[in-house]
Amino acid sequence: MPPPKLIALPQAVRRYTWDGMQYASGAALPIGSDAVVFGRELLRQKRKNLHAIFHCNSQQLNLLAGAGAATKAECGFTGLEVFGFANGLRRAVESGALALEDYSNLAMPLRLLGGALNWPFVPATVNIGSDLQDRSAFAPQEFPARSKIAAVTDPFSGRQIGAFRPLKPDLAAIHVTLADPLGNSIMLGTEWSRFELSRAAKRVVIVADAIVEEACIRQFPNLVRIPEIVVEAVVYWPFAAWPQSSPGMYDVDEEHMRFMNQALATSEGTRHYLRDFVERYSDVESYLDMIGRERLAQLGQTATAFLLDPYRRWIMPAAEVARLQSGVETR
Amino acid sequence: MSHTPTAAYTRQEMMAIATGREIRDGELAIFGVGLSMLAGFFAQAHHAPNVRAMTEGGIYGSTPVGGLPWGIECNRISTNATSFTCGLDALGCLVGSGRCDVGIIGAAQVDKYGNVNTTGIWDGEIGERYRAPKTRLTGAGGANDIACGAKRFLVMVAHEPKRFVERVTYISSPGYLEGGNARARYGFAGGGPSAIVTTLGVLRPDPDTKEFRLDAWFAFSSVKEIVANTGWPLKVSPTAHLVAVPTAAELAALRKVDETGALRRQ
Repeated sequence: MPPPKLIALPQAVRRYTWDGMQYASGAALPIGSDAVVFGRELLRQKRKNLHAIFHCNSQQLNLLAGAGAATKAECGFTGLEVFGFANGLRRAVESGALALEDYSNLAMPLRLLGGALNWPFVPATVNIGSDLQDRSAFAPQEFPARSKIAAVTDPFSGRQIGAFRPLKPDLAAIHVTLADPLGNSIMLGTEWSRFELSRAAKRVVIVADAIVEEACIRQFPNLVRIPEIVVEAVVYWPFAAWPQSSPGMYDVDEEHMRFMNQALATSEGTRHYLRDFVERYSDVESYLDMIGRERLAQLGQTATAFLLDPYRRWIMPAAEVARLQSGVETR
Repeated sequence: MSHTPTAAYTRQEMMAIATGREIRDGELAIFGVGLSMLAGFFAQAHHAPNVRAMTEGGIYGSTPVGGLPWGIECNRISTNATSFTCGLDALGCLVGSGRCDVGIIGAAQVDKYGNVNTTGIWDGEIGERYRAPKTRLTGAGGANDIACGAKRFLVMVAHEPKRFVERVTYISSPGYLEGGNARARYGFAGGGPSAIVTTLGVLRPDPDTKEFRLDAWFAFSSVKEIVANTGWPLKVSPTAHLVAVPTAAELAALRKVDETGALRRQ
């Protein structure tokens, strides 16, 4: 059996990220599964000039943009759904600190699929004929822009359609519900575009709410949409999507969603947020303390908890995960 | 539809009910988060029990539990699903492909041809060179895909002059573009917007020019009020009429879906 790929979060960020890289995450909807804690660690390690590829904005991109760590972004949806506009991202876009290239929520997975398949382009039958095609934040001088979504002719019908540029991010940090120590992953809830992203990215780091034994994976191979062969490393981090939700595991933290977004509306608020919720913890335990054990217990009382029932017996205790991880680190 | 006198209701509730009335039983439908989802699930609870609803994240067969979902992948809509797939499936295979019958989208700005802006507010025209908006909004999300691919779509928007403009500054989701058969240039799978349902009434496109006209007003509004709140010279359809007030059954169904009262806050 191949060796486990469990590594600590700081080590994953040190090893697989760099300034100016194309960093992808947020392959989930804005308030759901996303490796938000990976973004916190990017900030702890002072990464900058990131080119963010997020199917949708999430609190992670909101934070990276608000803190000035991302200077370019490509997105479908850029709000926080019922929680409103994403103030950190909004501030960065309005001030010109971040160039935001707009697509739609179908365009992003299509572009990831194109990257995954190594296609030269992906035919576009949506986004054409609107300003998503005609305006480009990356090539502002072009009007109508054609380096973003090119105009091409369908060779069969002769019809004018568009061509999307495929995406191949340098790294994808993908949040999943369950992974085994090798990175075989099960996502509860919709996968949004995590399947395509896991094949499009040059490297994949899995960030899992829980680690399961290999037997779990062998019991439900149909549900393993990200197999270990595309995974570089696995980070175990409970409540990794907090304050967002993880179906089967925990609900959205409504209070912190609002608090965080309000903080990100100003540079002063962002400074305080970084001090209190990015710099304040040193490991998983102190991260969980920071959120508050009582609140964690409440968030865990989710109506979706039954979704996790078939897998519970294989969830590994934290101590066992730590033992496996230390084996990897001393090797 | 019975016309039992009904208790007081808000403009938002009237808008949601008028939108829901556009959804027919058995249709394949996609709803976004917020008002659109309330209107859609109201239709399901009231007159369209067999509507096949999906979210753009690929959640099928579910109804919201515990209140209005915070997002379309929210746990509140993940507790009783029959299938979880993905965005490519929902927005691509079922919407972009042209299979979906009807979608509901929102708008920050909408123009006389039903083009929708949800991207940003600029001070005047953008100009030749693209520049960041003065106020950045949420972007196109899945609405562009619904506008291009769904057989028809509904726009739900608060009726204010600043939102109803002659020409949107930025087209996030295409309506009829410059009107007439302009959509044909792009061969979209979908047919375009069938109605703009607002807090004051309902606008529908002229069959030839595709310019939106006043089609109906609500009991609490009037032709005059709607025209005054529209930023282009609004034409009035020869068949313009009063929309029936919500029935008790409609209000009960809506309030069951909107259990946290999102639409009752004025």
